[in-house]
Amino acid sequence: MNESEIERGLGTDEPHVDTEAALARFRTRVEEEGVTAAPPAVRRRVPARWLQGLAAAAGVVLVASALTLSGVADSILKIFEPKSVVGVPVTQQDLSYLGKACAGLDLQQCLGTYGTFEWTTPPQPKEVQSLALASTTAGYSVQTPSSLPASVTGPTRYGVINRSSATFTFSASATQQAATRQGRTAPPMPANIDGSHLYMTAGPAVFQVWGAGTSTARGGQSEPIPTLVVGQAKAPVVTSDGVTVDQLRTYLLQQPGVSPQLAAALRAIGDPASTLPVPVPAELAISHPVKVQGVDGLFIGDNTGIASAIIWQKDGMMFEVIGSLTERQALDIANSMR
Amino acid sequence: MTLPARGAGRSAVLSPAFERLFRAEYARVVGIAHRVLGDQEGAEDVAQDVFLSFYRAHPADADYAPAWLHAASAHAALNALRARGRRMKRETAQAIPSDAPAGDDPAETVTVAETRDEVRTILARLPERSATLLALRYAGLSYSEIAAALDVRASSIGTLLRRAEESFRREMP
Repeated sequence: MNESEIERGLGTDEPHVDTEAALARFRTRVEEEGVTAAPPAVRRRVPARWLQGLAAAAGVVLVASALTLSGVADSILKIFEPKSVVGVPVTQQDLSYLGKACAGLDLQQCLGTYGTFEWTTPPQPKEVQSLALASTTAGYSVQTPSSLPASVTGPTRYGVINRSSATFTFSASATQQAATRQGRTAPPMPANIDGSHLYMTAGPAVFQVWGAGTSTARGGQSEPIPTLVVGQAKAPVVTSDGVTVDQLRTYLLQQPGVSPQLAAALRAIGDPASTLPVPVPAELAISHPVKVQGVDGLFIGDNTGIASAIIWQKDGMMFEVIGSLTERQALDIANSMR
Repeated sequence: MTLPARGAGRSAVLSPAFERLFRAEYARVVGIAHRVLGDQEGAEDVAQDVFLSFYRAHPADADYAPAWLHAASAHAALNALRARGRRMKRETAQAIPSDAPAGDDPAETVTVAETRDEVRTILARLPERSATLLALRYAGLSYSEIAAALDVRASSIGTLLRRAEESFRREMP
């Protein structure tokens, strides 16, 4: 197939549109759906839908990395430490089951429906006043972008989350009860998983935020949506005292609500002990691998192409750049971090 | 700003700036989606969604409005194309006669249908950036318009297009 055949295949006829009829249809739709126009603000480029998707994805990252990755022999071993990241499409249906299973619950309570989740050192985020103070508090050198696009302005705010740790103990009876509440039947939990533990540590993490206003100007009004968030954290580590990676992955992917497509995507991960699966809401976003700072990373963008995230791992650190950016801007920021 | 419409019709009153933008860009936004989807009804649905997304979140007189709409149309249409999956194949083949070149040769019509089906199957498999680039180019956008939509330098569009076309050929069976 040559160039002209590609063009022929895509069609050469211009569609005949009735713009006035389309505009009338648009007016009706705006009225019926109660849509309000964006205020004439200078910057308002992140749709709430994307932030919702990002929040959902962030939550599922924690669950997925804690529950779908493992591998161990007879003693406590390091079973998961991400050295790379991969996008895993997650549909609304997948999220819906998780949402129903955890309706009204926070992360700790949600995981508790499948066993016992306990923080040994809970995360305690706090704001600090400078990058130097963030580095001192975190205990490592924090990287920051050396150049930013013109759209990113305003003062920078810094947040630090301490090194946190938690223990999860699997429970066959709790898992069965959770499935029963959904009107489903969970597969029998293998005896060596029931009662076994996962030990998880993560952080410290540092977040640099642009466009979120100043800490002294928050008042009672809602804060503006940040235009850029740069995160850096020591890579999370999961250890286990009972199950192998294959046993745990096979069991978890048999759970009700895990679609065949999601299970296939997770099974396709070559090295589950060192690959962080990042859930990508399939209906809202796209993802593909990128090269960043000389290593393999992951790009995630919303379907309208106006919001981007880059996630990568290098030298034992996880990094992320998220904002109302094009892919090129996000990559430039990521590659400028020193 | 949305205001209740006067009179019996249930339609909103849009700002003059937004109406200008809609009239100026609607045909182009439909055209981009039409290149990807191959059917006008689907393309107009995509265009309505794209304008609604813009209306909700962006000021109508933003200088980036046309570029945003062009990129969003390509992304949204590609998303719809992938979602159609196998069903899209059948619909595209059935929709071909209305768009097919005039002629009485059934064999030619079938060949065109197969080509269009194949092109869209490959388009759906391509990396997002390559597929978007091809959709914008074959919808008739200039290099500078594509560069604005994708936020890249206009001087690099030729190279990026060649790479996209190479990616396309590599996906061919």
